[in-house]
Amino acid sequence: MSALLELENISKYFGNVTALEGISTQVEAGSVTCVLGDNGAGKSTFIKILSGLHAPSGGEYRIDGVPVHFASPRDARAAGIATVYQDLAMAPLMSVWRNFFLGSEPGRGGWFDTNWAKATAKAEMAKMGIDVRDIDQPVGTLSGGERQSVAIARAVYFGARVLILDEPTSALGVRQSGVVLKYIRAAAERGLGVIFITHNPHHAYPVGDRFLLLKRGRSLGDYAKSEISIDELTRLMAGGAELEALQHELQRR
Amino acid sequence: MSTTEAAAAPADSEPRDERIAFRGPMQRLLISPEIGAIVGATLVWALFWATGQQFGEASATLSWLDAAAPFGIMSVAVALLMIGGEFDLSSGVIVGSTGIFVGIFAQRFMGNGGPLWMAIVLAFLAAACIGWINGWLVNRTGLPSFIVTLATFFVLRGVNLVFSKRLMNKVIVENINGETIKDIAGFQWWLSDKWNYKAASFGWRNQVFFGLVLAGAVLLVAGLLEQSLKRRTDRPPAWAPVGTVVGLAATVLGIVLAHTTDGVGANLLAGLVGLLGAVVATVSWAAWRYETHGPTGTFSLTGRALLLTIVGAACVLLAWLVTRPLKLDDRRQLLSIPPHAIKVLIGAVAAVVAGGLALRYALGKLLRARSGGQTVGALAVPRVAVITAIAAGLGLTTVIVFLQMATVQGFRAIVLIGLGVLGIVLLLVAKGAARKTSTRAQLLPGLIAVVAIVGYAVVLRADSHAVRFRAGLFTVLLLIAAAVLANTIIELHQVKRVAFETRPDRVGRGLASLGVFLAGGGLALRLLFSGQNIYRWIVWWLVITAVAAFVLSRTKWGNWIFAVGGNKEAARAVGVPADQVKVGLFVMVSLLGCLVGVMTALRFGSVTAAAGVGKEFEYIIGAVVGGCLMTGGYGSVIGASVGAMIAPITLNGIPLSKWNSDNRFIFLGVVLLAAVLVNQKIRKKAQEAR
Repeated sequence: MSALLELENISKYFGNVTALEGISTQVEAGSVTCVLGDNGAGKSTFIKILSGLHAPSGGEYRIDGVPVHFASPRDARAAGIATVYQDLAMAPLMSVWRNFFLGSEPGRGGWFDTNWAKATAKAEMAKMGIDVRDIDQPVGTLSGGERQSVAIARAVYFGARVLILDEPTSALGVRQSGVVLKYIRAAAERGLGVIFITHNPHHAYPVGDRFLLLKRGRSLGDYAKSEISIDELTRLMAGGAELEALQHELQRR
Repeated sequence: MSTTEAAAAPADSEPRDERIAFRGPMQRLLISPEIGAIVGATLVWALFWATGQQFGEASATLSWLDAAAPFGIMSVAVALLMIGGEFDLSSGVIVGSTGIFVGIFAQRFMGNGGPLWMAIVLAFLAAACIGWINGWLVNRTGLPSFIVTLATFFVLRGVNLVFSKRLMNKVIVENINGETIKDIAGFQWWLSDKWNYKAASFGWRNQVFFGLVLAGAVLLVAGLLEQSLKRRTDRPPAWAPVGTVVGLAATVLGIVLAHTTDGVGANLLAGLVGLLGAVVATVSWAAWRYETHGPTGTFSLTGRALLLTIVGAACVLLAWLVTRPLKLDDRRQLLSIPPHAIKVLIGAVAAVVAGGLALRYALGKLLRARSGGQTVGALAVPRVAVITAIAAGLGLTTVIVFLQMATVQGFRAIVLIGLGVLGIVLLLVAKGAARKTSTRAQLLPGLIAVVAIVGYAVVLRADSHAVRFRAGLFTVLLLIAAAVLANTIIELHQVKRVAFETRPDRVGRGLASLGVFLAGGGLALRLLFSGQNIYRWIVWWLVITAVAAFVLSRTKWGNWIFAVGGNKEAARAVGVPADQVKVGLFVMVSLLGCLVGVMTALRFGSVTAAAGVGKEFEYIIGAVVGGCLMTGGYGSVIGASVGAMIAPITLNGIPLSKWNSDNRFIFLGVVLLAAVLVNQKIRKKAQEAR
């Protein structure tokens, strides 16, 4: 039985610049694969390949064991791969339910069935454990974590099988990050394969089932949770020389 | 125990987010974008209604509606575009261009007897092309639409001038509607005002009107209560149903009496019967259907609530006192200081201000030098004195200029309406503030407000120019008083809902909308059957507003318009065809501009080369007053439609109120600014409250 999404030896070159080289990992349905890396590690290129924005220069990208070649993000979306970008695709002045169904409004012809949309948006968010009291409130008045969770719930509702989250916790406070991590877990429990991109091992370790470490476009390793501890993860992330500085920082917390 | 605790205690059956408070129907109305325009238009309308001789009559109403229609149509179009995040500065000039196009095309290119309909169809096609070019350029170049459409504006303006001069040898195109043009009757029928709808008034017109308005009001009140109160589960008290029926009957009786009798005593009696009836009906209905509890808190007023109550009451009292010595038939200027004295006065004021500014500057220098950048406390006193002197000088100048310009009547109207309304509003705000801590405390400002409104009604009634509307104005004010009184009593002992409930919310909204619709229908019926001409573009305006509002709120295209204005990249990322939406909006603005242009040309028969120039700003003002954000992504077409009414109401109302019509632009400027400020202020306040 093959994994939901599989990458084998994926490479990407921009002219003579090597953005990614020989990356392999896999995402199972109902599990969370964390992609960790510092700035410039190639995380953005990685996402862009997964979401169909770039075609890989080499290697194989398989879904359900079948090699795929996406020409555009639309193809990737059709294959069930949804990407929630850091700068969320939402209009801040529009209400939660209007944002939820933006681009895929329910109803025949041009008609937008607003009552159904409101009820469904609320129910879908509730299924994820998100309690939006007032579905009419503008998305701009939600906190960062709540906004992320609306985006996640939206991706789940519209039939995503693989959910790619680009640094969802990077701009959030401690509590808000916790909320988003909870929703990541909730999405995985509903049977989705989640790819969680982050540079924070402390966010990745509790929710992840699999960890792919990137550095300067190359893989530092692809581990199952049983194969690696959080200290190990942190050490690999930081790399020898930088470790001391990081530990210093961690001790201060 | 405070009310908030009392209210929160029973509602804990389901987990809730403590950060989001339930918003009642009033709060929801306050954060809607169109509130500023509605408040502004209503206040301006009420001002002229109360002071103008015939302003409320059907003929005057239709005349300002006629003036407002082209503005309304274009404001709606521009509002949609603005919500979509763009501007169109060529929206004014295209009205003239299309008119000129129709005139020249029909007369020169097709010779005498050319068919008008072909010219009109071609004009619409040309307008669509212009809109498409605007949109395409904005999308393609990424330049601000301000610049792109400014270019279109200049090009079109030049084209108008060149073509009308070269082909017609004048800067005006005439005889558009002459016998020289053949036409298909249908086009004339739709686009010109040759057909005037004119229905004779019928016997029961007033009764039907009042019936509809009353029914609308009842439904509106029922809807509002449904949205803000909690349903009761136990048996209601026995007096409640009886009170409801008796109260309703008394209200009807009161209104009928007020309209069939004349004279102060009879009217006052009728008003009282109606007022009390309405209050009894509302309170009984609330007790019948909704949960009650005992009053909470103390009667004492403190802090802001107390201050607001005192100031509010003082304002209403002052409004009455100031107008006492000013006679209704006084036509003089308020103050006529001879020119010589004015020169001396202004010179003196200028000296004080200039001297003060110089002194302030010197003091500042001195202070900094002495303290090395730190402010010295001891020198604060002369500083304050200097600032006070400057402020007093400027204030005095303003007062003198105002008094010199204003007539006795203008001053009287401003004080009577402005101060009176301000006082009542302050009292209501005080009531709201007091309600936060205790349901007993809101009783006092509530009752004072009721007394103030009734007193105000009596004063206005005895005062108004508009003799025919005495009863009407009186009734409206008494109804407001009744509403405040009923609200005060209900808030004293009724449980306010604090949680969202889908069904009552929807039922309440439905009832309230139906009520507004019925009352509006009654008003429309009264206008329609007044025996006056109704110009066709008023109908166009209403239909276009309704269609635009529907598209915006109930179709996917509306969702897309909001999205491309709010966050274009995000919209594109989720599959919204953002570029097409923008092009569509530009084309729509141009097409509606063409519609207005053709209608104007056919109605007046001639178009000057400068027609429509400068109007684009008035359309934008209409949209902004109507609550559209200049940055896009937020707004309302109904607001824009109402916002476009303010200027025509003012321009029609000032002569009817016999004010000096030279003041109209000053008045207009102040009103527009105020409407936008109200918009911003209220929205901010309401956003904070949630």
